[in-house]
Amino acid sequence: MTTAVTNPRHGGEEEGAARSASLRGGGRAAGGRTAVVARARQVVKAYGSGETRVVALDSVDVDIARGQFTAIMGPSGSGKSTLMHCLAGLDTVTSGEIFLDDTEITRLKDKKLTQLRRDRIGFIFQAFNLLPTLNAIENITLPMDIAGRKPDAEWLRRVVDTVGLSDRLKHRPNQLSGGQQQRVAVARALAARPEIIFGDEPTGNLDSRAGAEVLGFLRTSVDELGQTIVMVTHDPVAASYADRVLYLADGRIVDEMERPTADAVLDRMKDFDARGRTS
Amino acid sequence: MSVLKTSLRNFLAHKGRMALSAVAVLLSVAFVSGTLVFTDTMNTTFDKLFAVTASDVTVSPKNGSVSDETPQTGRPEAFPASLVEQVRKAEGVQAADGDVTSLSVTVVDAENKNVGPTGGAPTIAGNWSPEDLRSVDLVSGHEPRGPTDVVVDGATADKHGLKLGDELRTISVAGDFTAKISGIVDFKVTNPGATVVYFDTATAQRELLGKEGLFTQVLAEAKPGVSHDALKKNIAASIGGDYKLQTAAEAADAGREDVAGFLDVMKYAMLGFAGLAFLVGIFLIVNTFSMLVAQRTREIGLMRAIGSSRKQVNRSVLVEAVLLGVVGSIAGVAAGVGLAVGLMELMSSMGMELSTRDLTVKWTTPVVGLALGVVVTVLAAYIPARRAGKVSPMAALRDAGTPADGKAGRVRGAIGLALTAAGAAALVTAARAAEASPGSLWLGVGVVLTLLGFVVIGPLLAGGIVRALGAVVLRVFGPVGRMAERNALRNPRRTGATGAALMIGLALVASLSVVGSSMVASATDELDKSVGADFIVQSGTGQPIVPQAQAALEKAPGLDHVTEYKWVDATVTDPRGKTTTADLAATEPTYVKDLRREVTAGTLTEAYGPGAMSVGSDYASEHGVKVGDVLTLAFKGGEKAKLKVAAITADTGNVDNGAMYINITTLAEHLPADRVPQSLLLLASAKDGQETQAYQALKDALAPYPQYKVSNQADYKEELKNQVGQLLNIVYGLLALAIVVAILGVVNTLALSVVERTREIGLMRAIGLSRRQLRRMIRLESVVIALFGALLGLGLGMGWGTAAQKLLALEGLGVLEIPWPTILTVFVGSAFVGLFAALVPAFRAGRMNVLNAIASE
Repeated sequence: MTTAVTNPRHGGEEEGAARSASLRGGGRAAGGRTAVVARARQVVKAYGSGETRVVALDSVDVDIARGQFTAIMGPSGSGKSTLMHCLAGLDTVTSGEIFLDDTEITRLKDKKLTQLRRDRIGFIFQAFNLLPTLNAIENITLPMDIAGRKPDAEWLRRVVDTVGLSDRLKHRPNQLSGGQQQRVAVARALAARPEIIFGDEPTGNLDSRAGAEVLGFLRTSVDELGQTIVMVTHDPVAASYADRVLYLADGRIVDEMERPTADAVLDRMKDFDARGRTS
Repeated sequence: MSVLKTSLRNFLAHKGRMALSAVAVLLSVAFVSGTLVFTDTMNTTFDKLFAVTASDVTVSPKNGSVSDETPQTGRPEAFPASLVEQVRKAEGVQAADGDVTSLSVTVVDAENKNVGPTGGAPTIAGNWSPEDLRSVDLVSGHEPRGPTDVVVDGATADKHGLKLGDELRTISVAGDFTAKISGIVDFKVTNPGATVVYFDTATAQRELLGKEGLFTQVLAEAKPGVSHDALKKNIAASIGGDYKLQTAAEAADAGREDVAGFLDVMKYAMLGFAGLAFLVGIFLIVNTFSMLVAQRTREIGLMRAIGSSRKQVNRSVLVEAVLLGVVGSIAGVAAGVGLAVGLMELMSSMGMELSTRDLTVKWTTPVVGLALGVVVTVLAAYIPARRAGKVSPMAALRDAGTPADGKAGRVRGAIGLALTAAGAAALVTAARAAEASPGSLWLGVGVVLTLLGFVVIGPLLAGGIVRALGAVVLRVFGPVGRMAERNALRNPRRTGATGAALMIGLALVASLSVVGSSMVASATDELDKSVGADFIVQSGTGQPIVPQAQAALEKAPGLDHVTEYKWVDATVTDPRGKTTTADLAATEPTYVKDLRREVTAGTLTEAYGPGAMSVGSDYASEHGVKVGDVLTLAFKGGEKAKLKVAAITADTGNVDNGAMYINITTLAEHLPADRVPQSLLLLASAKDGQETQAYQALKDALAPYPQYKVSNQADYKEELKNQVGQLLNIVYGLLALAIVVAILGVVNTLALSVVERTREIGLMRAIGLSRRQLRRMIRLESVVIALFGALLGLGLGMGWGTAAQKLLALEGLGVLEIPWPTILTVFVGSAFVGLFAALVPAFRAGRMNVLNAIASE
């Protein structure tokens, strides 16, 4: 029933209206007039050469809408993490272009790329998100400290309140539970007001309750703070928190789903598996 | 897979890390084996030399032979030629020749430059005999044939550009004497640096001994079939017991003993530094293995989970240590040979020629080197190995992340404090000691205990000190500085051990420089207080001053007076009949002006009156001697004299401590003229206002006698300072070794920390830490560790130095001077050491792939 539905929407003329239009599900006008914050065009990522050549991303085109919560799903080895790493400027591409707003990040040198990550991108990893030597608030403000910027106190308080950490700020990571640690990571990602936050299985190491909590915060930050989030996951429940789900298989985007529910995602996954076995 | 195989693979897997530790082993072993090779080579050289120069039996006067190198009289003991005939008549003698040898000479070239060796080796002047062809070859010209011929050795000729026909002036107590070079000889074996000149026999007797028909030795050869010992007995029977007889073997032994003192000092000094290198190396090895074990916790857990016993794990780590020890030691022995060759070169530049021809590597050298290297390495790895054995199988299942931060425990604190306190108490006891020998024992105990205490307590101090340093140094660098500080603090045990390695070397540097500058300060202070003379004249080698030089000096214009100062051997018998031997200071009444001495009783000027003398307060109290008592003196080679004690000098301070003074005229009454010693030094004062002219005039007067040096007070102080400075520089140079090992330790620690923190570094890079910031963070961590070590080391060293000075105050080291410029330079320098050590680890951290670092699979 599905084909690759990635539908590149060219041109950046809509971007000006992005922020105001970024309410949940709203502003998504017919014909895909959504402001796009990150785009990938014909991105190929290959390892090795000749007979040992492995293609992790195979001419991927993708647009990430501003103010949206996007989930990237796919089986192990589908290239979902690689896609995220490339989008986030952590990894280089073999060919193709990736833009963050107007900046073509595939052309940037390490120094500019580092600055870009520092100032415009936030990260939440599956584990080991925090520096063990710094306490919670120091970890949260670290990207701004590195940049030599003063955090916006008002905003910082709002972020800290949102993730519910006000009474834990002086704790070191090893004094926090796994869920609390991930919330600190979420707060760090939000605190610098990046244009986009990338999450790599942010709830992968958490039990379902702590996971739900963290996903709730991510959802809230999209709804209330207008944050753009891209999350890699293999958990249908996690994906159901997103506005949109992209399915990756063998380095290609094979499907996408708007306003997913856990059951719908699960069904779609089963469907892929079944096809994978019969084909 | 066998234990050996696992160990081998682990060893190879950590080549880089192991290489650093291996260098530490290498350096230590190299020092030990280098010392052994060097001393063995020196022994070989001297053995060969003595073998060709000694005759079967040598006869020399009983009082002082050639080995009594520079007699105070300025002339060697000699005997008449008739003795040669007597020896010749003894049974079993094939041949016997009279020999003239004097070491109390200086030889200068036409430009008044001393052609003698600058190091410790002597200038040897003697008569030429066909016997000499056993040890030398005449390579050009001819043997000395008359009073204007001199033959010189080739090495000296090369060094000073001497050719046949050049003039050489020989200065001895018998006068100055000029001859032309008639021939040049080369030694058949290595001549370790002596300058040798030959004259014909009559000339040698006349110019070296002052009289023809005298010899200093008889060299006898045995008839075939007569043993040296038998020959010695026969000669002794023939000439009586007033002479010293030595077989060739005995002469070689005696010669070796002469150089042994010098060799031993070198040997023990070098072995001391080897020990230090080992000590510092141990820290490096312990740290390396601790980190390797920590890093491999999961792996070891897995080994345990699948059935390895504790013992096996333990053993596999120790086997790695053995491998490290073997690799390091083998390289070390090889490097040791290189070090020995280097030392020989160094000695050459200081005037002691050694040839690689004689390079001697005994089989014991590699055995000792290997055994030491392996044993020390295994001992150092023992504690980490035990820790590896204790890793639970559960470790395999846990998420490794970063290894748990090593916490410094309370027990450690208590032990460290106890050791430090005990050591400090010992140092205080040493500082307050009333006598030198128990005091130095306390000092040693204090040094060892405080060192151990600091090593144990280091990790606890790391917290406070690093934070304090951080507040001063790192705050400038903002969040990067803060992270560096936290990183340095996260494993205090590791920081402590790394810093401790640096601490040891710097503690020694600091304590020695405190003692050194206190020495200079004390001597300067003493000079200012007690020395009234404007000028001092002495030789660099301890040779007494020949009369012709003294006469030239006394003629210099602008002088108020010149005071002679001689040393003379005598036995002193107190009124109760107790006899001691003493070096008496025979001088002139003007000496009272030149050196101000305090008296506890009597008047010092009266001690220069006829039949009078003075004694030191220590002797006076020990022997119950009062002013007015009469002492009996027996001068060597002269008569007995009864002298009245006219003054007792206070035995404080450095100069002439405990000296007994008599007037030279008093001495001359009791000694034949040729037995009166020459002046050991001369003191002179200028007429008022003529100091500068007089100084120049003295310098001019001494120009033909380059072996002597005149200094005014200011120059003398400067020379003193330079001498101490040179000594310290050599010591610092050797200590640099300990510091190199310590740097390797810092490199190692940082490199491992970087590997351990791969994920952290990836995370920081991902959220926007630039490469430059990352590198700076690692450099700052390194600097803080280095400064921590430096602070402990310099503090400890200044404590040691101060205690040592207080103790040495008993020996006249009255002034404590802390050389702050040196201390500060070392402290700042150690920051650079830190920067340097961080170069490679920081570079590698910067190059680290962000993705590999954060990949969660």
